[in-house]
Amino acid sequence: MATTVRLSLRRISDELSDFDYLFNLLHQCGEGSAVIIDFSNCNFLTPNAVAFLGGLARLIEYKSGTCDFDWNTLSPAVRANLAQNGFVSTFGGAIDPWDGNSVPYREDQTLDVDGLLNYLRTKWLDDYRIHLSQELEDYIIGKVWEIYDNAFEHSQSPIGIFSCGQYYPQKHELKLAVVDFGVGIPYNVRKFRSEETLEAGYAISWAFKSGNTTKSGSRGLGLDILKDFIRINKGRLEVFSHEGYGLISKDTEEYSSRLLTPTFEGTLFNLTLKCDARYYHLASST
Amino acid sequence: MKKIEIYTIVGENCITRTAGQKVYDLVHSELLSGHSVDLDFEKVRVFASPFFNASIGRLFEDIAPLDFDRLVKVSNLAPANMQVFKQVIQNSKRYYSDKGYREALDATLREQAQAK
Repeated sequence: MATTVRLSLRRISDELSDFDYLFNLLHQCGEGSAVIIDFSNCNFLTPNAVAFLGGLARLIEYKSGTCDFDWNTLSPAVRANLAQNGFVSTFGGAIDPWDGNSVPYREDQTLDVDGLLNYLRTKWLDDYRIHLSQELEDYIIGKVWEIYDNAFEHSQSPIGIFSCGQYYPQKHELKLAVVDFGVGIPYNVRKFRSEETLEAGYAISWAFKSGNTTKSGSRGLGLDILKDFIRINKGRLEVFSHEGYGLISKDTEEYSSRLLTPTFEGTLFNLTLKCDARYYHLASST
Repeated sequence: MKKIEIYTIVGENCITRTAGQKVYDLVHSELLSGHSVDLDFEKVRVFASPFFNASIGRLFEDIAPLDFDRLVKVSNLAPANMQVFKQVIQNSKRYYSDKGYREALDATLREQAQAK
């Protein structure tokens, strides 16, 4: 008989403690569990949480469990957000999504190049939120593509990739979270280097270095390119994989192994960009 | 010099390895024959490293760097994307020029594949 697990969510933002909270949810769901997500105590959810919850639900299903969302426990604000970004309709709720400040929740089991490009161009970099020249828009999309390519190429995720974003007009920020429940960056780097005890934080830093890759052939540039873009354009990128953590911003590039926190075997990218086109520079102009 | 219009081969998005492979197949045969090529990126909009790695980086497997520099011309590639192009070339030259490193890498990958 399946174990019933009722997960009562609290408010979830994108502080470090919020990511730890999310990862701990995963550890509460054993194989074959019947999980119910309760929103009674949740008055706020950021896109990293939405993407993660969606992926968690699919992972539970993949592992022969069930995952139901108790829509009756949604607060009006969270209901509006999850309905607008399509999360509710994706998981069986009877509310169709609509356009607004949300960037739609999205699941990609296989690589849908045109679909993803259209998503980034029309749903994330919406002209309403940020006015960019076509050249700049194309440039940014090319950089963010490196995240998706990294996930599809390396993650070995059995359930695909999960994305969600949000526009925060008062902060002039655009966020995008991309999650996979695959093997994680440290796993691939440890295997490649035959160093099973390699620190997770170091493994992530290794993956972000130009020329490093765990695949044969001359590759290994994508994450390094993304890193440069973030730094030049005053964005912020966080990467979580296993106990490893990477933070890249204009003045910061740090990697660490967070040993006292719940681990996440997949990989989560949390990207924040400024919505003021004046912040943006093409690499050639720096 | 043979002009290769990249847009005609792969469209406006040069981002995937699959697209890169198509360009590689065309360019590789020309270079092996000693023919020069002009890679024309007019009308291409989006670029990413997987494409450049698969189309250009791989050329250094059997095309000497000096021959590449002599035979390959690039046109209509914006400076921002030219930087990525050059980084791929730099990485590839290093990878393929260090035979010892490459053999050790490939041996490791073979072992890993057999261990699965």
